[in-house]
Amino acid sequence: MKADCREWGTVGYSLTVKGYHDIVGDGGSRILEQVTEQRARITDGLAGVRHLVAVGSGKGGVGKSTLTLHLAGALRARGLRIAILDADFNGPSQARMAGVQQALFIPGSEKVSLPRTKDGIGVFSVGSMIPESAALEFESAANGDSHTWRATKEFAFLGEILRSFEWGELDLLMFDLPPGAERTVQYADYLGPRTSFVLVTIPSEVSRGVVARSVAALSKGPNRVLGYVENMSGYYCRECNGIKPLFDAPDDSRLEIPCLGTVPFDPELARHCDQGIPFSELADTPVRRALDRVAQQLLDTLS
Amino acid sequence: MKFLCVPCDTPMKLQTVAPPDRGSLSVVYSCPACGYEMAMLTNAYETQVVQSLGVRIGPDASATTGAGKCPFPGMMPAAEKAVEGGIRWTSAAEARLTNIPEFVRPMAKTGIEKFAQERGAVEVDEKILDEAKEFFGM
Repeated sequence: MKADCREWGTVGYSLTVKGYHDIVGDGGSRILEQVTEQRARITDGLAGVRHLVAVGSGKGGVGKSTLTLHLAGALRARGLRIAILDADFNGPSQARMAGVQQALFIPGSEKVSLPRTKDGIGVFSVGSMIPESAALEFESAANGDSHTWRATKEFAFLGEILRSFEWGELDLLMFDLPPGAERTVQYADYLGPRTSFVLVTIPSEVSRGVVARSVAALSKGPNRVLGYVENMSGYYCRECNGIKPLFDAPDDSRLEIPCLGTVPFDPELARHCDQGIPFSELADTPVRRALDRVAQQLLDTLS
Repeated sequence: MKFLCVPCDTPMKLQTVAPPDRGSLSVVYSCPACGYEMAMLTNAYETQVVQSLGVRIGPDASATTGAGKCPFPGMMPAAEKAVEGGIRWTSAAEARLTNIPEFVRPMAKTGIEKFAQERGAVEVDEKILDEAKEFFGM
């Protein structure tokens, strides 16, 4: 290596010594190798999973978690082996919605058995580990200042979950992502090109705009974007058994990706989520049929 | 990060790591050619960044920066309470418990002990673990 003092200004003299890439290893801790080994163990742990699908948006409050759970339910009803990883560590909702808040974590021979819903969907959610009255905190040597390290810690935690649980043979592992377009891309980076994305929006210009940013960001990487689901696409009225408008937005998606379907808002579905009632107990309504259609479309798109 | 002994143009080797003290790690490197030693002293931010990667620091990766430890111990007070009556674990069952990461271990231990006690068992063995798996449809 030859450092040019004119370029760097602070060296003071030219060095002719080995550079970083001339040296094999780091002299002891093997940090890069440890990270590579972590990733390899994740790959091994997910070897039996046929499809990895991340449900994201960029926008918060559009129903990513609800759709993730109920699409999983609709696919499970078709006999598929499904699991959900609630990757929204700071706002985990799958534990309550899937009815696994009091889940028991059972040690297997090497890994932890995955808690299951009544319908047999495997679910990991931080909500099964810490009460809703507590916020997720990590121990820190830095006395707070979490803006400097928190994202790194959360992804290391995600890796530990992927390595530590028995995912086994699955047709589909769904990731329920946190909001934020940049977070969506970070998950794409971390989970790798095997992971496909479904984006969720609602019929508002604001939501579509944010989701469009996620589409733009994802388009720069290798991950496949399967399409989007328009959630809260109208309001299901049980009295007249019809769908009424919920948002006064033009019927123009402006999203240049396929639409996998639309799902109306249903207060009954929200009640099911609050109480952890599984998809199998959802009455045969236009909303259930809409979820079924989206699930089928998702399956067709993956095939 | 790598360290180079400039006079020898030789990569330095990690010798010892002192566990974090008030957020600072002390990592000693030496030059295998001339024996010169130097210490890298991290500030709390640097320690935390390494800790956040979930990796171990040390020549045999034995010194930990916190990797594998329960990341949020303060939020699980209920899970850390031992089940009253002090239920025993067989060595095989305990080995299975030790194999799982620390972030779920306290909850797993408490939950299994409760499950065992509800069935009148006085110790947790592998049979109880397998029964629990089957009971919960795992």
